[in-house]
Amino acid sequence: MTELKFVFGDPDICSGCMVCVNVCSMFYSKVIGPTRSRVRVVRLEPALDFALFCRNCEDAPCIEACPEGALSRTSKGIVIVNNKKCNGTGACVEACPYNAIHIHPDTGKAIKCIQCGQCIDRCPADAIFMTTTAELAERDKDGRMMALHEKHKKELYPKEAKN
Amino acid sequence: MFGVGGEILWVDMTKGKIEKVPIDEELVNKYLLGAGYLSKILYDMIPAGTDPLGKKNILGIATGLLTGSMFPQASRHVVAALSPLTDVWGESHAAGFFGAELKFAGYDAIMFTGASSDPLYLNIEDSKVELLDASHLWGKDVFETDDILRKDHDRQFRTLSIGQAGENLVRFSAIMNDRDRASARSGLGAVMGSKKIKAVSVKGTGKLEVADPKNYLKQMDIFYERMMANPFTPGRVKYGTTSLVEMMQHIGRLPSYNMKQGVFDGYEKISGEAINEKYLVKARADFSCLQRCGRYTAVRKGPYAFEGGSPEFETQSSMGSRCGNDNLESILFGHHLANQYGMDTISLGGTISWAMEAWDEGLLTAEDTGGIDLSWGNAETIIKLTKMIALREGFGDVLADGSAAAAERIGRGTEKFVMTVKKQEIAGQEPRAQKSMGLAAVTAARGADHLYAFPVLDEAGFDKEIKERFGEQYLPEMADRLNPKYKGIMVKECEDFMVMVESVGLCKYGTQIPPEFYYDDIALTLKIHNGLNFTGNQLQEIGERIVNLNRLFNARFGVTRKDDCLPDRLTKEKAPLGPSAGEVVELDQMLTEYYDVRGWDQETGLPLKETLERLGLDYE
Ligand code: SF4
Ligand code: SF4
Ligand code: SF4
Repeated sequence: MTELKFVFGDPDICSGCMVCVNVCSMFYSKVIGPTRSRVRVVRLEPALDFALFCRNCEDAPCIEACPEGALSRTSKGIVIVNNKKCNGTGACVEACPYNAIHIHPDTGKAIKCIQCGQCIDRCPADAIFMTTTAELAERDKDGRMMALHEKHKKELYPKEAKN
Repeated sequence: MFGVGGEILWVDMTKGKIEKVPIDEELVNKYLLGAGYLSKILYDMIPAGTDPLGKKNILGIATGLLTGSMFPQASRHVVAALSPLTDVWGESHAAGFFGAELKFAGYDAIMFTGASSDPLYLNIEDSKVELLDASHLWGKDVFETDDILRKDHDRQFRTLSIGQAGENLVRFSAIMNDRDRASARSGLGAVMGSKKIKAVSVKGTGKLEVADPKNYLKQMDIFYERMMANPFTPGRVKYGTTSLVEMMQHIGRLPSYNMKQGVFDGYEKISGEAINEKYLVKARADFSCLQRCGRYTAVRKGPYAFEGGSPEFETQSSMGSRCGNDNLESILFGHHLANQYGMDTISLGGTISWAMEAWDEGLLTAEDTGGIDLSWGNAETIIKLTKMIALREGFGDVLADGSAAAAERIGRGTEKFVMTVKKQEIAGQEPRAQKSMGLAAVTAARGADHLYAFPVLDEAGFDKEIKERFGEQYLPEMADRLNPKYKGIMVKECEDFMVMVESVGLCKYGTQIPPEFYYDDIALTLKIHNGLNFTGNQLQEIGERIVNLNRLFNARFGVTRKDDCLPDRLTKEKAPLGPSAGEVVELDQMLTEYYDVRGWDQETGLPLKETLERLGLDYE
């Protein structure tokens, strides 16, 4: 099976600068705007800054949820949106446990992180990295990063009304 | 125009009316946005005789042309009004996320006119803009206000607010945003308080379209690489501004004991290194910021326990060395408290240190202070007074008007310990150790200020930049911090550049120190971001125009050369100790050179007719 990769951030290192957010919206949408970005940055006290990406779930509830069959996993293991099929119903938005897929306000189509790495290269704090579940467990031996994500999941992954 | 919100909100607090007006592109061509735009609007609308805390004063909050862009450190907004501390031009800036968010909501500025009788806050959600009841927020501190607003709306809102100090019209109260970002100088929190504006909350779901999307990211990559490769960046990340304590001690520029001297025995205890060793939790950044000078610290136990955004060099000096205080935990906590109540730590520490010197000289007694002991270095007193000032309790009420007003009230010769220019406390640059800072404090439109010019090119071996920006002929004198020669030329140039930077919404870090980005870089960015065609020279001329307009504003309130002065201590008494011992500020010599390059009259210190004509300014 292909290793499922995803981008993950260290909330103790991330400075909250939103450079990743801007890079992504500029790279894919040619504008600056957090609502057009595939990554969100959430600042929480005390001293935490979370850069939040698609976690590339093995069971990918977003794929399951889409009534149009617009979401699929590529041979490289990336969950992508087929814009021809996507009609913006937002069932995926509801289904995603990580609030990581959204309807782009301009195109009306779903957008999510596709693990391209553009933002990783430009993060000034080196706070984000491409990883797999196994690699992350290795890197985060004492479970610090995961615990922080887990502890704050209510604030990080609120259920939003779909656009 | 690309890259902007597009509209300005005019909020009439008296009538509770809100109007949306498109930004005036003609004004942008002459003044850019941010500080320049506000300079023009307020110049046109605030007549002589206006009461800074009355209905007729106008409070502007504006983003720059590049605020919200991807340019390094494009996070800033500016606030301006007639200042209740100085009674002249008042202006202050902060970073954070508020400015970018305002732009994403579709607005570049908010202008508050009139005054409400009941507390209100302005809530902005894209096109929905409303004034809401703030009675439940009045009396709350800055952090509580942020918590409540983001709970009531949603946590993605960004807030700007005043704490109790602004409500109580403390004349050096700040306007805070994003919890621990402060537009602190000039006392504009009190203007907000006088209008009964508790806060602005904003959420914007919009976008900024840029003029040249094709080349945008490519060009930003070049700027990012330059910023990251600059030798200053790692140090900025590591220490923020806190290690300036060590550096300033080293050159005798660390104001100590109310500026009696520029060296402090306890400097190591309050240094950047000391903070990193025990208290630093994290370096934090604002929108688009690559340098992360923001400090998040924690004191885990004892009377000064807290955690939050703190400190900045200015506070280490104002609440530390300036008060003879080497208790670092009290300084970190004091900064945090000042954020919480919404106060300028420079004027706060400056005012307390004035009182401490007066006490030391026996001119203030326990009878004046209500029994509070004002001995040098009494950390407990500093913290106690911080609260009492914010709440205007007891002796705190006297200090809440700033050191100049307090000395006038107390009299008895305490006036000579007032370290202000135009009634604003001088910041953490003992000018006898860096002459350009003395001149800059005097010429700054908002009263004593190191940032209006931010003349740091003579501070740390920027000979190469001096050569590039001015020309070889000015070396070595211009680079010598103790030599008054060419400092008029330097301060003029720095002012023009810095007000321009404040008008595009960039940080002084990255433009002035380190001097990485200059006019041409900004001109290029205005082109690809906003689609505006300015040359570097035109931008310089705009800066010059803004400085002259600020001067005309001050002239309307009576400012002339006689007000461009420093306390006698700095011009007449030789620095007693340290590496700059024996120095005084040769102010007159520098000022004469400055007026000369400015095209201002030597006697009045006001712009000459031909200067105004050249800059396309009308004169009264
Ligand atoms: S660019 Fe890096 S430091 Fe900045 S918000 Fe994103 S992850 Fe955090
Ligand atoms: S979009 Fe959400 S549900 Fe789909 S793979 Fe990513 S994290 Fe999982
Ligand atoms: S990895 Fe690519 S798609 Fe994912 S957030 Fe970063 S830039 Fe966007």
